[in-house]
Amino acid sequence: MDFLLSLVYSAMDRLLPLAFAEPTFMKRAILAVLFVAPAAAAVGVPLVQFRMAFFSDAIGHSAFTGVALGVILGIHPLLTMVAFGLFVAYAITMVKGRTGLSPDTVIGVFFSTAIALGIAIISARKGLTRNLQEYLYGDLLAISGAEVIWMAALFLGVAVYLFFAFNRILLLGVHEGFARSLGVRGRMLEISFSLVVALVVTTAIRAVGILLVTALLVVPAAAARNVARGAAEAFWIAIAVSLASGIAGIAASYHLDTATGATIVLFASAFFALTAAFRLARGDVS
Amino acid sequence: MNGQTAPFHTLEIRDLSVRAGGMEILAGISADIRCGEVTALIGPNGAGKTTLLLAILGLVPFTGEIRFCRAEEHGKGTPRIGYVPQRMDLDRNAPMTVLDFFALSSQKYPVFLGRSRKSRAEAKSALDRGGAGHLIDRPLGRLSGGEMQRILLALALRDNPDILLLDEPVSGVDVSGEELFCDFLDQIHRESSFSLLLVSHDLSVVTRHADRVICLNRSIVCQGATTEVLTPENLSAMYGSGARLFSHGEADGHGHLHGERRG
Repeated sequence: MDFLLSLVYSAMDRLLPLAFAEPTFMKRAILAVLFVAPAAAAVGVPLVQFRMAFFSDAIGHSAFTGVALGVILGIHPLLTMVAFGLFVAYAITMVKGRTGLSPDTVIGVFFSTAIALGIAIISARKGLTRNLQEYLYGDLLAISGAEVIWMAALFLGVAVYLFFAFNRILLLGVHEGFARSLGVRGRMLEISFSLVVALVVTTAIRAVGILLVTALLVVPAAAARNVARGAAEAFWIAIAVSLASGIAGIAASYHLDTATGATIVLFASAFFALTAAFRLARGDVS
Repeated sequence: MNGQTAPFHTLEIRDLSVRAGGMEILAGISADIRCGEVTALIGPNGAGKTTLLLAILGLVPFTGEIRFCRAEEHGKGTPRIGYVPQRMDLDRNAPMTVLDFFALSSQKYPVFLGRSRKSRAEAKSALDRGGAGHLIDRPLGRLSGGEMQRILLALALRDNPDILLLDEPVSGVDVSGEELFCDFLDQIHRESSFSLLLVSHDLSVVTRHADRVICLNRSIVCQGATTEVLTPENLSAMYGSGARLFSHGEADGHGHLHGERRG
């Protein structure tokens, strides 16, 4: 694996002969962004259609508790963060399906419960706050080689999942009953999609942090909506926005010495403002 | 449109009940919906009309039985059920064209990799049948209520359903659109022989287009041939004593049920 990574690094030296890309930690950061940002944006397109931004936020914040659990159990916090995120995603989807309560109500309950549990654990164990800092704000420049490989695997996994499920997810997002009448198995699809979202969100936290992770999913898709007319257009514009803001964010944060995750999100927001202005100029207001 | 001449298949509903939140929404429903016939489902708001459609679609849990008896001429396997929902709350900004919408259910590979020539041809011919071919590249969120219903109907008919469920097909459509829609339905229904179950508030649509009527108010009030069922006694039993059918001399030329909120 290390051999593979060093091969990639030397290829990057030839392709990207830029000062900011020279240190190995910067190369890892760039690779991480190249894998995570498009995966998040791609999942974000149907997520926005489903109006699940709040869901993704809840999963992101549950990571806070996942990390705390990892520390007190003596397991690597990254593992407990992903596992707890998956658990919360599954629980929300099941409870929503069984009770018929509105999504934002169920998510609100789980959101606050997870945060309360996290705060309770942290307050009982002094000294935990330091571990949490890097998760709250993200630490793209401290990403390890193993994490880069995990992100590459996630990228591939999301690509395969969307290849097979994208059409049905979008159809389900238009109208559940109608999709079901066309043979879409709604429950299974809803559960699998929420688990994939949870995986992407908990992975992306390493890059942009708990507080900003939803932006990585929602903002590129929202920017794409401003200008795209068709589904394919929306998908690729979202991916392009995520990649452009990812690379621009890393470069800018290197020169301005700002937090990388926040800088990336600011670039994505700038793309949103730009596309919104374009749309208004086109006279498309409704 | 006589069920006897067409190859015979039936949707048999036996003692169907639906409960939700401790409330009985539907109780003891037994009915046959026959192939080649138009069955209208009428009843006041909250009578459980949409719920019955959802039960047939398998979208709500129910007790009792829904059996599909298939004539051999129609092939084997589970029935294909086409469904046109009452409303589609799609936001106007959804980046999806009519063609995308068709391709979502016909194409094996994801629409973000483009849409196949075959998807386009299939969508075009299905839309042309409903006189909506010109809408193929329009964004879905920008269609009028009537246009959207034509799209949904074209899509539901594309896969040659055995049963077609229409929930309030003419709600939110202007009068001329309504005529077009009903004529179109009549035409396709004569051409192919599927069972058509139609929820409607509009009794003029029902009297003109339905062969049979099921009056529903949580349980079945009455059912039978349209002319036998739509009597003042039955209507007042279902909607309350104020109910009566306006004569066809009304300004818009349609009979609406007095005191009933439409849509």
